[in-house]
Amino acid sequence: MSGMDKSDHAAIRAVLSGDKKAYEALVVRHTARLFRVAFRITGNEADAEDVVQETFLQAYRKLDGFEQRSDFGTWIYRIAVHCALKNIGGSRLDESSRVAEQSNPELDEIQVADRVAGPDRLLLSSEIGTMQAFAMHSLTPVERAAFVLRHVEDCSCEEIGTALQIAPNAAKQAVFRAVHKLRLRLAVLRMKV
Amino acid sequence: MNHMQHLTEDELVAHAYAEDETESVQQHLERCAECATAYAAVRSDLDEMEFAAVPMRDELHGKRVWESIADRLPEYEAPKRRWFPGRMPGGLWGGLAVGACAGLLVFGFVAGRLWERKQGQPAQTIAGNPVQQKPPVAHPQERVVVVVLSDHLDRTERLLMELKHADTGNAETVSPLRDEARTLLVANRICRKNTKQDDDPDLAAALDRLDPLLAALASQPASLDSAGIARLQEEMNSDRLLFEVRVLRSRQAASTAQKKDGRI
Repeated sequence: MSGMDKSDHAAIRAVLSGDKKAYEALVVRHTARLFRVAFRITGNEADAEDVVQETFLQAYRKLDGFEQRSDFGTWIYRIAVHCALKNIGGSRLDESSRVAEQSNPELDEIQVADRVAGPDRLLLSSEIGTMQAFAMHSLTPVERAAFVLRHVEDCSCEEIGTALQIAPNAAKQAVFRAVHKLRLRLAVLRMKV
Repeated sequence: MNHMQHLTEDELVAHAYAEDETESVQQHLERCAECATAYAAVRSDLDEMEFAAVPMRDELHGKRVWESIADRLPEYEAPKRRWFPGRMPGGLWGGLAVGACAGLLVFGFVAGRLWERKQGQPAQTIAGNPVQQKPPVAHPQERVVVVVLSDHLDRTERLLMELKHADTGNAETVSPLRDEARTLLVANRICRKNTKQDDDPDLAAALDRLDPLLAALASQPASLDSAGIARLQEEMNSDRLLFEVRVLRSRQAASTAQKKDGRI
């Protein structure tokens, strides 16, 4: 067990003994990592901040069920992924801005909400990052989270499955579907640009 | 895997992410130009997928998160203090339970013994004697012997009568006398002890004089002859003792009758 684990476990014991303030050390220690993954999944600073707060609140409520043999960082990371997934899955904002999933990207025009960024604007923009951001909106929440965790966070399919509460093979398939969709979107966008 | 059976996109992606790493995929890519091109395209697309940098946060970010949630966190109740550590092997708990039960049994046994000693009746009592009003102190290890003074005087009188008229030529008659003397010697000492405490000089004096006679008779051999009996009678003045015992018996009987009348 690493020094950080010992420190985390000591803080958890203190919290469970009635010392609420001891939780502050855990929040300060793990906020940066949770914010990073939350931002990558939600793609939005404000949402990422909400996810981080919700994550720490949920973790605090579940703290008495935390297995002392486990790694607190891994445990709360999974909670953060779940909260982020819930955030993007439940957000109605996506409905107005995302590319319609049911359309065939190979045949149809890209459908993007005018308020956020229309095809004209995309055509004017050559920034690949902007295209990717819109391409990401074509993914389902699970595909998006799975892709972020695999491509950016370098998690294994087993870890992704655990975090998303799905089977490892389902996680792998979600990554494949995400890559497939993103490649198609990016190919069309490149042609438009 | 041959050239005609090309790799799927999923296999290429898996290979790019080092998932399902198999030698056959790599060998196929080395031999199949079409799949190699497709793989290069997959790699290129994946490499291009760079996400926007995570916004920078200062060192106080975690502190601010804490301040934003601190008020919403209920305080856990401190666990109640236990007499012993909460996480112990079940076997140890069982051992402790057995030990505790055994300890309770021992404690109960000892406490019961002590209570009995404290609450128990006197070990030696002389019924019908005023001395009995005082609780005699009995040693817990002593046999409980209840001696009734009137009975003791009766038996002593009979013994002295038999001694007076003993058939010295018959050993069978001597042996019971000796055994009876031994029993009466013990009872007489109890009576003496209690009589002194009660300050009854006549009774105490009679019992004192009776004691050597009983002791001598108790220590006689079984083959006590007429000469030995005569010597005892003479030395111990058994006739006088017999007279005193009779007087004491009469007095004791009168005293008992008086007590009965008083109660009625």
